[in-house]
Amino acid sequence: MKRFLKIFKVAFISIYKNRTRSLLTMLGIIIGVGAVIMTISAGEGATLEVENQISGLGTNLLMIQTKSEHKAGINVRMGRPINEKDFDILKKNSVWMPQLSPLVAIGAQAIGPSGYKSTMVYGVSYDYFYITSRALQTGSFFTEDDVRTAKKYCVIGQTIREELFPGEDPIGHQIRIDKVPFTVLGLLTEEGSGGMQDMDDIILAPYTTIQNRLYGHQNGYTMIMASALSEDHIADAEMEASELLRESHKIMDGDEDDFEIMTQIELQEITGNVTGILTILLGAVASISLIVGGIGIMNIMLVSVTERTREIGTRLAIGARESDILTQFLIEAIVLSLVGGILGIVFGILGNQIIYKVTGFFIPTVGYSILIGFGFSALVGVAFGYFPARKAAKLNPIDALRYE
Amino acid sequence: MPAKKVIETKKLNRIFKNGEIEVHALTDIDMIIEEGEFVAIMGASGSGKSTLLHIIGCLDRATSGEYDLDGVQVNKLGKNQLADVRNQKIGFIFQSYNLLARTTALENVELPLIYDRTGQFPNSKELAQKALEQVGLADRIYHKTNELSGGQQQRVAIARALVNNPALILADEPTGNLDSKASIDIADLFVQLNNEGKTIVMITHEPEIAQFAKRMIYLRDGQIISDKMIEKRSTKAFALKELEKPVETP
Ligand SMILES: Nc1ncnc2c1ncn2[C@@H]1O[C@H](COP(=O)(O)OP(=O)(O)OP(=O)(O)O)[C@@H](O)[C@H]1O
Ligand SMILES: [Mg+2]
Repeated sequence: MKRFLKIFKVAFISIYKNRTRSLLTMLGIIIGVGAVIMTISAGEGATLEVENQISGLGTNLLMIQTKSEHKAGINVRMGRPINEKDFDILKKNSVWMPQLSPLVAIGAQAIGPSGYKSTMVYGVSYDYFYITSRALQTGSFFTEDDVRTAKKYCVIGQTIREELFPGEDPIGHQIRIDKVPFTVLGLLTEEGSGGMQDMDDIILAPYTTIQNRLYGHQNGYTMIMASALSEDHIADAEMEASELLRESHKIMDGDEDDFEIMTQIELQEITGNVTGILTILLGAVASISLIVGGIGIMNIMLVSVTERTREIGTRLAIGARESDILTQFLIEAIVLSLVGGILGIVFGILGNQIIYKVTGFFIPTVGYSILIGFGFSALVGVAFGYFPARKAAKLNPIDALRYE
Repeated sequence: MPAKKVIETKKLNRIFKNGEIEVHALTDIDMIIEEGEFVAIMGASGSGKSTLLHIIGCLDRATSGEYDLDGVQVNKLGKNQLADVRNQKIGFIFQSYNLLARTTALENVELPLIYDRTGQFPNSKELAQKALEQVGLADRIYHKTNELSGGQQQRVAIARALVNNPALILADEPTGNLDSKASIDIADLFVQLNNEGKTIVMITHEPEIAQFAKRMIYLRDGQIISDKMIEKRSTKAFALKELEKPVETP
């Protein structure tokens, strides 16, 4: 034990005497660990963000649309549009979809008392609010009755309020959507951007009104939105909708659907692919930073190998045992890796915080990134600090002294 | 009572193999050195002096032959035991000092005591300081290696060789990198240490330094060709006077 303490002291003195080399080695480790933590965490952060946005849509969500196909980069609608008849059949027969809402979407110009904005207007039924779990900040939703009687009421998102009613209460005021006047009944709570678009840059109105006034009836609905009874029954709901629509569309067994049903699961698969690619990309960046850090450490260690081999020769010549040398170098390597690794972790976490402060993109520091970064750097540090020393310690003292 | 044998070698051979080429650096060396001797080893470059001293100093192993050091059969020792022998019985001095860089004289001298396993040197700092005083460097103990002259560095190396009170002091061209004046000082230091009872074996190329020893062994092509006592030993005063003689130019 006393011996170990002595060697421990030797190792610390050696680190201190060679502080430039020690600092450069630690720098390599710091960069390696920090970069790995930051890149892996950024990947995880992006994945988390996308997942949040998807579940923000409502986890039980089903979207039933006319089948579309990619042709020369454009979505071309195939087959019959989804229409009122489809909706009625689903509404009447569905067991697994308690909430169903038509959705007709148009791009339109909305004009308020103090401003205007081009925006998306969704014609929906009352069920839509359940399906997407949107809540109100003030005011009220339009009712089932308002939908049936095609009232010119609407509910607006926060972005619209900011543009059309800056600093004012919009409730009860009139806005014009493509020249048609609507009364604002409610103001939605802020949602943030969901999927591809800003979920606050939105106006919701009864679909009947939108069809009557703006969209027309000949094209049916943009889609039918539904929510499954529970998350466990999304597949049942999808099957049910498919069977009902195939029957109603008189599609023969073996023929393809002329509609498509997107569920949360499929959305997650699509975005999962995207974030998967992102993770691979960031993983590659992380690997590169690890390699760069590793090469840095390796270079410093290898450059000093001649001096260190001579030092080992001297120590052996005056009576150090091989194990004394190995203990010393192992302690040196571990201490440098440990201190460098801890500083690297601090650097990585601080980096994540700084990115959050500057860009507002929240990066959760993931545990395994710390493990990977730390593990790798420790490995490199110990491998390049310890193994050349081990080789030197096995030499005849005189060969170590003569080393060039 | 016959003096104790510190070194006894029998038919010591050292063959270096580099691929196909074999170099017989030492051939059948038989040698006995007793306690209290001061031996100078001389010989042309490549004659095997260093090789012999490395084997004696347990820094290298003989290819064949026997070697007893202070009653211990060195051939039979393992790696760790050899390290312990180097630590306890031998003080080795190199031509190129081999001090640790960026390290003070005191720390360098203390180094052998760090690796001591016998526990007989609890006061390593005091011992190191004493050894440095012994070589005349009392005022330089906190100087770093690079702040010392060549002669001073060699004195630090000698102090390091002395600090563990070894049975044997081995020096491979200790004055090889020093000027004449500094060389004489070092040789005189060896004489003093020898007078205090230390057994010393020293390689040198300089006859006037060899003359400080009591006995001279001459090597050629890895063999001992002459081994005799020195009749008229040099002293510091004499050597310095010789140094001051004007060089005769024809
Ligand atoms: N590691 C080695 N590998 C191969 N040959 C060696 C090795 N070390 C020494 N030799 C050879 O052994 C012979 C003796 O070398 P050694 O170093 O003992 O000579 P020396 O008498 O000390 O010479 P010098 O006075 O120049 O120091 C030389 O021919 C040398 O080339
Ligand atoms: Mg030599």
